[in-house]
Amino acid sequence: MRLLRNLFVVLGMLVLCGQAAQAAESMPKIDIGKGGQCVRDPQWMRKNHMHLLIHQRDETLRKGIRDDQISLKNCIECHASTKDDSVIARDDSFCVACHKYEAVKIDCFECHSGIRKSAWLKNQREGK
Amino acid sequence: MSALIAILFYLATLLFVVGLLQRIRTYAATPAPLKIPTTPAPTTTSGVVLRMTREVVFFESLFKANLWIWSMGWLFHASMALVVLRHLRYFTDPVWGWVAAIQPFGMYAGLTMLAGLCGLWARRLIVERIRYISTPSDHLILLLLIGIAASGLTMKFVAHTDVIAVKNFFQGWMAFSFQPLPSDTVLVLHLLSVVALLVIFPISKLLHAPGVFFSPTRNQTDNPREQRHLSAWAAKLESEK
Repeated sequence: MRLLRNLFVVLGMLVLCGQAAQAAESMPKIDIGKGGQCVRDPQWMRKNHMHLLIHQRDETLRKGIRDDQISLKNCIECHASTKDDSVIARDDSFCVACHKYEAVKIDCFECHSGIRKSAWLKNQREGK
Repeated sequence: MSALIAILFYLATLLFVVGLLQRIRTYAATPAPLKIPTTPAPTTTSGVVLRMTREVVFFESLFKANLWIWSMGWLFHASMALVVLRHLRYFTDPVWGWVAAIQPFGMYAGLTMLAGLCGLWARRLIVERIRYISTPSDHLILLLLIGIAASGLTMKFVAHTDVIAVKNFFQGWMAFSFQPLPSDTVLVLHLLSVVALLVIFPISKLLHAPGVFFSPTRNQTDNPREQRHLSAWAAKLESEK
């Protein structure tokens, strides 16, 4: 009985809180760059993109196999922002938005550049 | 399905919090008529605080009693603490700095947590004496925890789920708004097991968590000569004489 009474009290308080709370969708806001047709189904990519990247790293680095389709360069080509040509420059950049939201560290760009190749070459020419 | 799980989580959390508070109130109101700290015991309050801290953080008594059980039990509890803290990333936005910092450790802690649990269950199954005194609930609680750890690790290492959607679900849940949850079987299994754990917590031996703080042999100061120990009801009896 006491349990029931206490449950009702807390339930009442929760309902009050609920009415005060803002209905919230908290999905990260992402700048997807050019976008377009991905190499896999987008939902599959959301869960498993890291395996493609790691697999590709091993294939390329250890065996020298370069895939035309699956490569970090191609990821960046489509998904670097159209504003600053980068997948990591801002909090809403393609890689950063979700990785920051979920507190997952990105290792790729400690060695690799996160800038679209055309923009990178342009920067080189202009001596930036 | 998402709404059902959200509602189950509301109810389970409610039962967990209210049930736990009620239990703690009962524990706090239960008289400890005798002065029975296990000696050698601290003679000051700060000493007791230190002793209790050692008990809670390192499981000192168990360490002195049985090194085998201690090693598996402590491994499980310490790992679980890390794992639970790691899960705070789903409930904070932006994620707190120290929660982000412990993410990789929490991942390995998942493995050691499962190892500890399997060790504890093996003890119940293999040691004849322990198997004899084990009740079904002893086995089932271990199985439930093993299920939670195994399903979590499966999502980490075998079949990923869409963690962004999961976080969005729980961010919405905290603000009383229903957000869609990925329909991966392992995820649903993981979450339903956690619901079950929350529900049984206030009515099972899992109550040793708040209960340890109320152990008279551990929370009393050893000062029977300096200060007479007299419980309220005993004092009343004396005054009636």
